[in-house]
Amino acid sequence: MGMKGYDLAQTLSPIPPADKPDRLKAVWLSTNHYGVKDDVTHGLVQALTSRSGYPREEVREEVNGWTEVFSAYWKAIGELLAVDGDSIVNGRRTSWTKVYEAWKEMTMALHRGYTHHNFEAWTIPCLYTAGKYLRAFAIKSDEERGQIDAGGDGLEIRDDFDPEMEKHQQLRDCEQQLKRIFTLCLTDRAEITESRKWGIYAIVNLLFKTYFKLNSANLARTILKALSTNKGNMPPLEAFPAAQRVTFKYYEGVLSFLEENYVEAEKHLDEAWRGCKKDAMPNKERILAYLIPCRLLTTHTLPSKALLEPFPRLQKSFLPLAQCIRRGDLHGFDLALQQGEEEFVKRRIYLTLERGRDIALRNLLRKVFLAKGFEEPKNPGDAPLRKTRIRVAEFGAAISFANRETTDSDEVECLLANMIYKNLMKGYISREHGIVVLSKNGAFPGTGV
Amino acid sequence: MASSDSKATTTQEKAPTQQQSKPEEEQKPSNAAVLGEDDEFEDFPVDDWAEEETEAAGGNNTTQHLWEESWDDDDTTDDFSTQLKEELKKVEASKRR
Repeated sequence: MGMKGYDLAQTLSPIPPADKPDRLKAVWLSTNHYGVKDDVTHGLVQALTSRSGYPREEVREEVNGWTEVFSAYWKAIGELLAVDGDSIVNGRRTSWTKVYEAWKEMTMALHRGYTHHNFEAWTIPCLYTAGKYLRAFAIKSDEERGQIDAGGDGLEIRDDFDPEMEKHQQLRDCEQQLKRIFTLCLTDRAEITESRKWGIYAIVNLLFKTYFKLNSANLARTILKALSTNKGNMPPLEAFPAAQRVTFKYYEGVLSFLEENYVEAEKHLDEAWRGCKKDAMPNKERILAYLIPCRLLTTHTLPSKALLEPFPRLQKSFLPLAQCIRRGDLHGFDLALQQGEEEFVKRRIYLTLERGRDIALRNLLRKVFLAKGFEEPKNPGDAPLRKTRIRVAEFGAAISFANRETTDSDEVECLLANMIYKNLMKGYISREHGIVVLSKNGAFPGTGV
Repeated sequence: MASSDSKATTTQEKAPTQQQSKPEEEQKPSNAAVLGEDDEFEDFPVDDWAEEETEAAGGNNTTQHLWEESWDDDDTTDDFSTQLKEELKKVEASKRR
């Protein structure tokens, strides 16, 4: 797409550049409600005809489209300055909802530009800028309404009042707009080099963020299905900028994670991790927060101290858990899980981590097995063989100790059967003799014994 | 006496701070929302970067020691392991009895 698309998108940003903090005010002061369209058209025609020598008629259609966009932008900037309480707009009262509405007008004008005014594909970074801030303003508007409602006396509550729907009303509206942009990019039939399809992942990522915030992650799956249906006539993901790839892989991974497809999740999250910018610490932390529980279940591996070193928050949540798992300390594991509960629930990883208790138990039983030592060799010089018959009572003592409370033998047997069923331990229980007969080759698969 | 004195001062000190923090409290809903979306991916400061700038740069040997097996056979001298061995000895002894 080249840099000029980004430069153009920058002119539609509601955030002034660092070196021109007064840009928004300057834009606002440069014209007025009556003259804005004429001024924009005049400026655009002048710029286009003088620089490229286009005949006036051919650029007319396009200029009309951009006139709509920039005059809508100008109005939105007015609302934005007003909501910030800038004296330049004469202390007019406004709200984030009005900012949102004005920005939505601009977004729709931009959309019309592609369907009605021949906007070219190099300008698509503008769609991302429009969508990104539309989402930000929708969230602000919802928050603002939430605060007003909280201050009210609740008289307006109706029978059909759905607090969850109401809470994100504007963001739901925003989702509709983002979806329209998604379709606009996906259905472009132009040659791939001149295609709006190059805008697809930026918009998909915005949609993902929106769905997660709306607690409707399942809708993200619909988007993924639409993407894979069109895979054949789309540029491959590798052809997109790293930031878009990594963000996409993160969300694809988290989505699989929430669907409990941990193998898939690990693949995507690992890709996100490997491709992530080395110094992007907050994002790396987010990836790890899901990759760690994922690996615990798929490959039964744990993060090392070195890996967690740069992330104090992850250290605090995961190091105690990891240590208890390694030791087989069941009670300690329960405590560590309880201690991090709030954080784990918030990150939607609590239930997954809970399953790590199986690994802790496996390690505990493995310790019992190792502690039993070896059989007396039948002939001197024979390779030593580990004792593979272990009394249920011995496992029971270990489990009771690790639980810090007596676990009765029925429950112990149940836990052992479960370990065998999950293939974390190989062997069978002989109830008659009250012993467990472990496999002679690989009693604890994948752990070297 | 001394402790009740110090308590009095803390409550006195607290009163004005609570008043001062009122505007902050009003902003709380938005703060909570920010915390709630902790796992929302941030926009990167740049759109693209080279292979050398990625986490994977430097080959596998840098990433390999970052993940460890879930058991630890060297960790046999800590309290937990020592006590566990004691427990196992006890069951062993009870069987012989």
